[in-house]
Amino acid sequence: MNASHLLRDSLRSLGRHRLRSTSIMLGSLVGVAALTFVLDIGQGIRRKILLTVQQIFGDSSVVVVAGGMQLVDGPRPDAARLTIDDIAAAAAAVPAVVAWDPQQVQIASVRRAGNTATARVLGQSERAEKVWARTVSRGRFFDASDVQRRERVALVGETLVRDLFGGADPLGAEIMVDAVPFTVVGVLERFGTDLHGMDRDNEIVVPVSTLMRRLANVDTISVAKLLIADPAQNATAAAQIREALRSRHALLQGQPDDFTLLTPTEVRQLLGKMQRIVTLYLPLASVVVLLVAGLIAATLMAGAVNARVAEIGVRRAIGARPADIARQFVAESAFTMLGGGLLGILLGSAAAQLVARRLDLGAVLSLRVALIGLALALITGLLAGVVPALRAARLRPVDALR
Amino acid sequence: MIELEDIEKTYTRPDAAPVHALAGVSLRIAGGEFVAIIGTSGSGKSTLMNIVGTLDQPTAGRYRFERTDVAGLDVAAQARFRNRHLGFVFQAFHLLPRASALENVELPLLYTRDEPPAGAGRRALEAVGLADRLHHKPTELSGGQQQRVAIARALVNEPELLLADEPTGNLDPGSADDILDLFEALNRDGRTIVLVTHDQRVAARARRVIRIDAGRVASDEVRDVARTAGREENR
Repeated sequence: MNASHLLRDSLRSLGRHRLRSTSIMLGSLVGVAALTFVLDIGQGIRRKILLTVQQIFGDSSVVVVAGGMQLVDGPRPDAARLTIDDIAAAAAAVPAVVAWDPQQVQIASVRRAGNTATARVLGQSERAEKVWARTVSRGRFFDASDVQRRERVALVGETLVRDLFGGADPLGAEIMVDAVPFTVVGVLERFGTDLHGMDRDNEIVVPVSTLMRRLANVDTISVAKLLIADPAQNATAAAQIREALRSRHALLQGQPDDFTLLTPTEVRQLLGKMQRIVTLYLPLASVVVLLVAGLIAATLMAGAVNARVAEIGVRRAIGARPADIARQFVAESAFTMLGGGLLGILLGSAAAQLVARRLDLGAVLSLRVALIGLALALITGLLAGVVPALRAARLRPVDALR
Repeated sequence: MIELEDIEKTYTRPDAAPVHALAGVSLRIAGGEFVAIIGTSGSGKSTLMNIVGTLDQPTAGRYRFERTDVAGLDVAAQARFRNRHLGFVFQAFHLLPRASALENVELPLLYTRDEPPAGAGRRALEAVGLADRLHHKPTELSGGQQQRVAIARALVNEPELLLADEPTGNLDPGSADDILDLFEALNRDGRTIVLVTHDQRVAARARRVIRIDAGRVASDEVRDVARTAGREENR
C-alpha cells in the first residue's frame, strides 16, 4: 500500500468512525492547546521581564527599597526609616554613584472640572528625568528650584490626559490631587503596563518635597535609585551603599537590614526562578495532558481493533499484509491526534493572543511553538497506535473472519 | 490450476486429543471449472476452503497454484497472491458498513502494487448489475444487493479464482437464485469458481461436486455437461 492510498484510506476510516475520532481529537486538542498557550505566553512573559528589568535598572544601577527582606509581599519591618538624607549620605560615600533620585508614592484621587480619576502619585526629584530615564513628551520637567520650593507642579501620564481632559491639551491647567491644587506643566512619556499589569501611564509625578509635605505628610521615602558609572562596579557599589546605609541607621552586626538593595543581577535571578514555573513546569503539565490524551487514544484504538476484527479479516483476505494492517491503525491514530493538534494550535494561539493583549505582552505567537505542538501530537498519535496496530496485524485471517 | 496433495490440518489442544480437520485431501481443479464443495458442518469443507484461499496453513501436504507452492510463501507474498489471483465471497458479506458500495469494491485496489486502471470499481459494480447503487451504504441495500457488492469486490482485481463460502446462506431463495445465476454467468466467461455449501440445491448449480466427510474426499463427481447446458436452454 503506498503513502497516498494509506492517507486516503485512513482519512476515510476516520470519517466512518466519527465518535471515536472526535474523542481522540478532543484529547489532542486540549493537550496541544494548553501547550501552545503556555509556551507562547511563557515566551512573552520572559521578554516582558527582561524589558521591565531593563526599564527599571537601565544598564547599571542599585535600587534601595525601604524595609527589610520581603520583596514580593508580606510586611516590611521598619519601612518608615529611609530618608532622603540617608541616600544623599550613601551617594556621597560611594564614588561610583553618578546620580540618584528619591521617590515616595501615594495613591490619590485626582479631579479636574467634573472628571475624577484614581492615580498613583510619585514624588521624585528633578534628577528622576535622568535617573529613571523617563521624561516628558510635552511641556517641561520640573527643576531643582521647584523641588526646593515644594512647588505644586505636576507631570501627568497619557491615561490621565485622556480621563481628565478628554485628550485636550492639559498644559497649564489646574488639577486637584486629593485636596491640593496642582498646575500641570508636562505630559509624561508613554510607558505602557509593567510586570504586574499596572498601567504606568495612570501616574502623576510631582516634586518629592511637595508630596512629602503637602500630600502625604511624611519624612521618609519608599524607594531610591542610584545610577552607577560602570556596570562592572555595580556589585562593589551595592556593597558600599549597604554599608553606608547600615552605619547611618546604626545597625549592629547581626541585625538584619531595614532596607532592601536590588541590583539588576539579583532581580534577574529572582525573576528567573519565577519564570521557570512558566517556562518549564506549565509546559510539562501540558505535556502530561498530551500523554493522557495519548493513553485515551491508545485505549480507543484498541477498542477499534476489537470492533473491526471482521474488517481486518476481509482486508487480509483481499491482499493486505500484516504490515499494511499495522500501518493503517498507526496512521489512523496519528492522523487523528495530528488533526486535534492542528485545532489545538488554533485554539491555544487564539487564547494566547487574547491574554497577551490584556497583559500587553506584544506579539507572542511563534511558529516554533506550533511545530513543537504538532510534532508532539504526531509522536503521541504514532505511539498510541503502535500496540493496537500490532495486535491487529497479528490476527490470523481465519480467526478474524470467523 | 490448483493441485492439492495429501493436505492435512490438525488442531492440537493442550488437554484433549488432536482434531484432524483434514486427513489427507488430494484434489486437482482445472481453470474454468465450477466446483461445489459440500459436506456437513464439521466435515472440514471450510478448512479446505481456507487453505485453498491461503487464509490458513496446512499442517502437512502440498498446495500448488499454477505450479507455484503457495503454502510455502511467507505471509506478505501470500497476501500479494490473494490480492492478484483470488476473490473471496463470504456468507456474511463482510462489507465495511459505513463505506459506500464503490468504496467497498475498491478496497482490494488499495493493496495492489501497480496503479489500478481507472474506473475498475465502477466497472465491477456494473458487471454485477449495480451501476445505479455506487454510492449507497450497505445498510441501504438488500441482502442480495450487498452480496453483489461483495462479488464486485472479489472481481475488481480480475482474479482467476473466485472462492465463495456459503454465499447464499444469508439470503432469501429469490436473491440466492440471482447470486447463483451471477456465478454461472461469471463461470461462462471463463472464471474458475469454487463454492462451499451444505445446501444440495446450491451445489446442484455447479458442474462438479466434491463431497467432504470427516476430513477426506468422500465423492467427486462431474455432472453431465449436456444436462447443465440443457437446463440453461430451458430457461
